[in-house]
Amino acid sequence: MNTTTLMMMLFNGLVFGSYLVLLSLGLSIIFGMLGVVNFAQGSLYMLGAYAGYTCLLFGLNFWVALLVAPLVVAFIAMLAERFLIRFLYKEADIYVVLLTFGLMLVFEEVIRLIFGDLGRPIGVPDLLSGVVNLGFMYYPKYRLFIIGVTAVCALGTWLFLIRTKLGSIIRAGTDDSEMVDALGIHISRIYTGVFAFGAGLAGLAGILAGPLQEVTPLMGNEILIQIFVVVVIGGLGSIAGSIVAGLLIGEIITLGVLFWPTAAMTSIYVLMAIVLLVRPRGFFGRAGFHE
Amino acid sequence: MADFHEKSRKRREKIFYGVAVLVLFFLPFFIPYKALGSQILIFMLFAMGYDICLGYAGMLSFGHAAFFGMGAYVTGLLILRHNANILVAIFAGVLFSVLLAFPIGYTAIRRRGIYFAMVTLAYAQMVYFIAFKWTTLTGGDDGLHGIPRPDFFGISLESETSVYYFILGFLLLAILFAFRVVHSPFGHALVSIRESEQRAQSIGFNPARFKLIAFVISAGLCGLAGSLYCILQNFVPLKTLHWSISGDIVMMTILGGMGTLVGPLFGGMFVVLLREVLSTYTHLWALIMGISFIVIVLVFRKGIIGELKKRAII
Amino acid sequence: MKKTTETGDMKVQKEEKVIGKEKKPSIITRRDFIKTAAITGAVTAVAPHIWIKPAWASDPLKIGVMIDMSKAYAFLNKQDLVGIKLAVEDAGGKALGKPIQVIARDHRLDPGIANEKAKELYEKEKVDVIIDVPQSACSLAVNEQSRRYKRLFISVDSGTTAQTQDKCNYYGFDWGYDNYMLATAGGLWAAEHLGKKWYAITADYAWGHDLLKNFRAAVEKKGGKIIGNDMVALGTSDFSPYMIKAMNSGADVLVLLNAGADTVNSTKAANEFGLKKKMSILHALMFTANIKAAGVNVYEGDYATVSWYWKSQNPGAKSYVERFKKAMKGAPPHWLTAANYSATLQFIKAVQRANSKDPDKIIEQLEGHEFRDMFANPGYIYKENHQAINDALIVKCKSQKEITEPWDYFEIVGKVPAKEAYQTPAQSGCKMKRPA
Repeated sequence: MNTTTLMMMLFNGLVFGSYLVLLSLGLSIIFGMLGVVNFAQGSLYMLGAYAGYTCLLFGLNFWVALLVAPLVVAFIAMLAERFLIRFLYKEADIYVVLLTFGLMLVFEEVIRLIFGDLGRPIGVPDLLSGVVNLGFMYYPKYRLFIIGVTAVCALGTWLFLIRTKLGSIIRAGTDDSEMVDALGIHISRIYTGVFAFGAGLAGLAGILAGPLQEVTPLMGNEILIQIFVVVVIGGLGSIAGSIVAGLLIGEIITLGVLFWPTAAMTSIYVLMAIVLLVRPRGFFGRAGFHE
Repeated sequence: MADFHEKSRKRREKIFYGVAVLVLFFLPFFIPYKALGSQILIFMLFAMGYDICLGYAGMLSFGHAAFFGMGAYVTGLLILRHNANILVAIFAGVLFSVLLAFPIGYTAIRRRGIYFAMVTLAYAQMVYFIAFKWTTLTGGDDGLHGIPRPDFFGISLESETSVYYFILGFLLLAILFAFRVVHSPFGHALVSIRESEQRAQSIGFNPARFKLIAFVISAGLCGLAGSLYCILQNFVPLKTLHWSISGDIVMMTILGGMGTLVGPLFGGMFVVLLREVLSTYTHLWALIMGISFIVIVLVFRKGIIGELKKRAII
Repeated sequence: MKKTTETGDMKVQKEEKVIGKEKKPSIITRRDFIKTAAITGAVTAVAPHIWIKPAWASDPLKIGVMIDMSKAYAFLNKQDLVGIKLAVEDAGGKALGKPIQVIARDHRLDPGIANEKAKELYEKEKVDVIIDVPQSACSLAVNEQSRRYKRLFISVDSGTTAQTQDKCNYYGFDWGYDNYMLATAGGLWAAEHLGKKWYAITADYAWGHDLLKNFRAAVEKKGGKIIGNDMVALGTSDFSPYMIKAMNSGADVLVLLNAGADTVNSTKAANEFGLKKKMSILHALMFTANIKAAGVNVYEGDYATVSWYWKSQNPGAKSYVERFKKAMKGAPPHWLTAANYSATLQFIKAVQRANSKDPDKIIEQLEGHEFRDMFANPGYIYKENHQAINDALIVKCKSQKEITEPWDYFEIVGKVPAKEAYQTPAQSGCKMKRPA
């Protein structure tokens, strides 16, 4: 195991961690605002990849797909929120979770019926193919691109929530939506917007991941469980938690597979168990928050 | 007037359940192939066991496949590799499911409600992964094959009819047990904790302990379902541990009507039959089931039995 | 919007009292249950004896086919069914004076469903044989039901060697290929012709491990060695670190013990790093459909082991290919459809020779039998473990300019005789329980 391979794997861990960051950021924000654990987050990721693939089928280039896919997924999520999920807010929380679970099943089946079970290829765009000389090693351009886009989105999301007026409304709604509603702000529109935004992040992760792996109807399932581990460790509802834990889990899985293949996958669950025992709210979670 | 309605409701109820019991007893004679009937019984048991966790303790677990699979594998291994007596093997299957439930439940219950769903899913995935890798023990991806059906006190269970009644016996015992649990002081306490944990705590109950016990009982019943599944199938596929099984059981319980015990029994029968019938006629069956599930969650949240009870039909 | 996470919306019937009062369940009493338990016990003991087994010997010959019709293998498996039907045609369409029925079932690659469908086919449809059943776990499940119901099963599309080893079953047969043959034929030939130093990339599950074990044995027999191996989790998309390791190892041959998406991703990675300039690539399992899907450039120059190729010169092959192309509108048959054809044809012929549907008599005609058809010329069925053996072919994937007609992706470069490619009955260690 020489240093170049190690560095390469560290960067690969950042790449995989990027998907986890985007997905768990979306999950966290949706939960923070709506109190909903979106079981469909993984399938929204998958939908993003297929939306991108469809764009390419119609002859559009990758850059257009990159823009369109998250928007398409956000739109689908918006429809789901407005016409399905919304009716269950007054009921017990589990019903919304069950609804998102049902959506997950339906999305997967619809995609399978349209596109079949075999994987669909998405190619790396020409501008980003090939490697870049980082000085200490060569690394694929496209993977750096993924890391870059994720960093921009994460930073942008954080700035938006902390610095803008709408962002503070959203954060206020997280704490006490009834109060916000009483202040006359259209909370329901914000709900829809937040849900769509969280979904859009998932869709973005999907189209980013597309060129590097096979696009199949099942691609969202395994990663869903992994982002659950991320938010438990990071703290559901916490932006910082999603980012830090996302990258951490990404590294553990990527490096682990190379060093301790047998233990790699179980180690993240063991870590989750330890966090639950020692600090149940997660590293960055707030005490009393949705507990 | 209300008394009259109540009397006729009770009569309808008795007829309804009477017919149900008759159907269960004579199912092998009018079902296309008997193994399907046995499968129905097993999933009825599985769903009912799950209801104790979801409907009565109010905990949405997505990890019950781990208990189902554990029961199946332990029973299978004992019969296959150690020629165990069938009752011993089944008992061991239940025991191991119960043992597994303690650590999972203990850490998961620390996070209530929604976290619980995610955490149980993650743990179940871990169990799946261990079974997948430990090929020498579980057969890994291939599963555990060639498990014979031991005799039950000299009675051969080789025929699909015999094994059906064997499983039915366990199901009925389990129903009896579940009903006693749910209508006991423990059961009532559980329901009050589900309704309001703060209030129950103020009376002096320890919610975490009650929920853990409920979780463990639920795991045991689901483990029993797994053990019986292994005996029915003569093998244990890795799929028994897969989270899609957890998802199926949630669907059955909600469809039937959670928190009623009887509802999930019907849900189990209904979903297995529906799946069998639909898949013969259309390849859209999975989509239909998914959409039905969404519709149920949106509109008929109480499930079939729940809605019937709500309208005082039974 | 609820702030707590309690599932507190469960208003139960108003009869439910709060803690403390024991309440009798309104529907079932304890006495009912004791009665029920007693009746159940009695019925369980008596039931099998009163249920009459319907007669079956006078029904027409029924061939059950179980394949994946809706999931990942659907495209390949549906072609198997075409092959089987062509075999029925070629056998005259009739056996014992009655038309032969083919009954197909979809197991969706799920062993639980395969198990259920096997019981349905044997019990309700009363088929005389089940043919095919791809995917090892599914095949093993059907194998067990075949043993229990004492009816024939011919496993074709699944690679597991367990069916001819420790799980061997008097009523079961294995046809077409298995993991041992893929690894041994490929290993023996490539160690001799491509190089002695090997690097392996193995899909980390039962199938991959099995192949690795058999490849190692075959390579070492020819004085070669697998100098490095990486176990890679299923569904890995990033094979770059493994390619780098392989290239730095100094090996001559890279053997990819994976299938499906993993094969595509690993081969693409190999191309990306220019691995093929230094090493040859040998695949464990390959079909022309894979090349069509991923593109000729991806697999150009790679080697693989098959049992048959549609350009076969065996008598009857050309006609088979023509009729198949007509039924499938253009695409020629892949090698497993030919294996299914062969299994079906030989089964029907055995029934005709035995002039009976009695499984024991049919088996008598099959085991120890040498046969010739367009798939195996010749083929032979070992009596001890019911394995049908055939010569293995080593193929090389053509480059774009070498391809002269559509779908002609392979060039046959070598052959490994059946007796060398397959394990001997002694090696398989099968201890079959024969009826008295």
